Amino acid sequence: MNIYKKAKMLPVMLIALALVLSGCGGNAANNSSNTPGTTPSGNQEEASGWKGTITMYAQAYTPDAKNISGLRKDQRMLRVVADEYEKAHPGIKIEFIDEEFKDYTQTVRVKAAAGELYDIFWGQWADLNNTFPKGIAEDLTEYFKKPNPYIPGKPTWQEAMNETVVNETVSPDGKHYNINGDYVATAFFYNKDLFDKAGITEAPKSWVELIEVSKKLQDAGIVPMSQGPDYSWFQRHYLTDFYSKEFETISGYDKNPGISSLDETIAISKGLLSTTDERFMAWWPLFKQLTDTWKKDYLTSEPGIVANSAKNDFLAGKTAIIYDGSWVPNNVKDANVTFELASFNFPVLSTADSQFSTGIDASGAVGGPNGAFQFAVSTKEANATMKEEGKKEAVIDWLHFVGTPENVERIVNENGNFVPTWPGTKPNDSMSELASQASKELKAISVGGSSPNLGKNLQRVFGLYLSGNINFDKAKESVQKELDTAIKEYQTKNNTDFSQY
Amino acid sequence: MKLKDKYKVALTGYAFILPTFIFLIWFMYYPVYQALSGAFTNWDGFNAPQFIGLDNFKRMMTDEVLSQSTVNALIWIAFSIILSVVPPFIVAELIFHVKKTKLQYLYRTLFVVPIVIPGIVTVLLWRLLYQGDGAINQILEMIGLGSLQKLWLGDPNIALYSIMLMGFPWISAFNMLIFYSGLQGIPQEVIEAAKLEGATGWKRVFRLDIPLSLPQFRLIIILSLIGSLQNIIPPLIMTNGGPGYSTYVPILHMYNVSTVNGEFGYGMAVALIMFLVILLFTILNMKLVKSES
Repeated sequence: MNIYKKAKMLPVMLIALALVLSGCGGNAANNSSNTPGTTPSGNQEEASGWKGTITMYAQAYTPDAKNISGLRKDQRMLRVVADEYEKAHPGIKIEFIDEEFKDYTQTVRVKAAAGELYDIFWGQWADLNNTFPKGIAEDLTEYFKKPNPYIPGKPTWQEAMNETVVNETVSPDGKHYNINGDYVATAFFYNKDLFDKAGITEAPKSWVELIEVSKKLQDAGIVPMSQGPDYSWFQRHYLTDFYSKEFETISGYDKNPGISSLDETIAISKGLLSTTDERFMAWWPLFKQLTDTWKKDYLTSEPGIVANSAKNDFLAGKTAIIYDGSWVPNNVKDANVTFELASFNFPVLSTADSQFSTGIDASGAVGGPNGAFQFAVSTKEANATMKEEGKKEAVIDWLHFVGTPENVERIVNENGNFVPTWPGTKPNDSMSELASQASKELKAISVGGSSPNLGKNLQRVFGLYLSGNINFDKAKESVQKELDTAIKEYQTKNNTDFSQY
Repeated sequence: MKLKDKYKVALTGYAFILPTFIFLIWFMYYPVYQALSGAFTNWDGFNAPQFIGLDNFKRMMTDEVLSQSTVNALIWIAFSIILSVVPPFIVAELIFHVKKTKLQYLYRTLFVVPIVIPGIVTVLLWRLLYQGDGAINQILEMIGLGSLQKLWLGDPNIALYSIMLMGFPWISAFNMLIFYSGLQGIPQEVIEAAKLEGATGWKRVFRLDIPLSLPQFRLIIILSLIGSLQNIIPPLIMTNGGPGYSTYVPILHMYNVSTVNGEFGYGMAVALIMFLVILLFTILNMKLVKSES
């Protein structure tokens, strides 16, 4: 009888268990401690009284990372900063997310949709302005205009930041969604031993020399380069040069600094950034001169998919040159390679290379304020725990603490892959050459922001052209089709009247 | 047993299976319902969806990428059905005709053992084999067929076939075992009677084994059809649909427009149509490949 009674209770217990489990499954972030505190203080967090755990995904600056490849095992400066903060703010814990995401955009979308995005997450300005769904990140503009309690003597937080970066990374509607403290530089990195083997004593300084060097390597039986020809990267060098005189026009359509997706769309619709303007694709045959010397495997591949293979080829000494970011020296060090590494910037083009060249130095056009010190704060819609009273203020207070020139410098320099950009910060000595790119005015021109898939679709056409599967005319036709589709999509989604501009 | 007791017993039974149903509805049916209803919205995966009627379906009619994906998927289905039926059936026949039971067991085991290798590993291995300096091209060079060397995944004219033909010799252990068990299920008297009638060798295969294995053929064809339409891993990992859109398939399009472009509403519309197409093919297959069993 007793057993029978228990058996009858079992379904009820199972249902109860299911309901309890369902309650737990909804939002893991809710599990963080959130006991209200009462400590009064001048700081936002203490004034808010919130206590608990702040989660942060700090990408390349993640301290003590075990699961993120390419990070130094002894990197822990952000943890040191967090420890200092925790010590000064009892009851607040900073937890760093030690995970590697294969598709970060997808991760952010999915986590935000579930209300489980991290309190502070790595978000680059272009993604926050154009790619991620609207409303996942807090607008930080009002905080920029107020003092940061941890930076004495500055009337506003913004004054401690890099003015150019702040101005040029603003969203089309005039908002700032992240604090932006570092700069990534890109360059051609090369294996000096392989250069020596091919009898090349100097790094190329012009486009012609770059082609010559590639051919010399090829003749010596060495693969000059082998990687996905990243359209979104390489277009910036050429378009920034070819359209340098139109930068103000293109960036001025929305009356805001920098080129927003609206500026880009209007420029496409006006035929400026389109195939009707000869400059727009004039660099394709020029670039093909270079890729004709590359190993063909990756020409039609999506750069992201083959990035690791391409880098491994370079680290293994199978290829002589790789075009990549300022993290390469650390990758080389980690891989314990025996060859000597050196780098050279993307060459300055001349009218001898292309009649459309304006001769400006566009070597820094690919890099820019797109590194890893790019932190955004989740909204309560993207992160259910942000609904807790006082939590938002506490998170902003931690961001204030991290976002001081001193902390930017020590966090960025410890990592060693990027350059700190805030006034008063100094880069590591090893980065000083690449840091010169950061001092240049950011006037990069590119397309890809008008629709989420425009960049990827152009990459496909680019790959087919470079691999010789389609000719220039066919490529031109396909590119125009993609541009037309993108601006139509932009117009439909944003209800934009192009005739206003 | 009184009526009240009967109800008690029935209710207890239902209570036992209720948690399973709750989870089933929650995790299986509710997402499907969400996908179906989301197909009529412009949901970006985060903000509140807005009802846009049939706009997503109208867009599908003019979506060139989806058209090419559909053509690719049809080619893929045809190849996939052939490859999932013919080689496993031949191997099942061969093993079935091995006289010694122990040897039959050994061969079966040998064909089943590769199952332990995760599918993703196979895909990555084949990606290496297909590289310009990969094993396939090296072997071709070694045997004097260097002129046949290709960029197997880099040439838009052959990339789709390279992916489809990955996994040589295409003997799915699962399918082989299904066929084998079907052959084992043929009554001995029928086989003996067929022998007396002169049905031996190929005659027996075509007049006895295949007709009596139709339930197995039907099952494998349906599973291959569904599997090939849903199989996103090889094109995603090996080429992400490239070069150009030469290896793009509808499921990859659905995935990319949803998770990469954030157009979940449109992705759901593609999913809805795929669901209907799979359903249609399945019904058609059930009708065409009739079986007495």
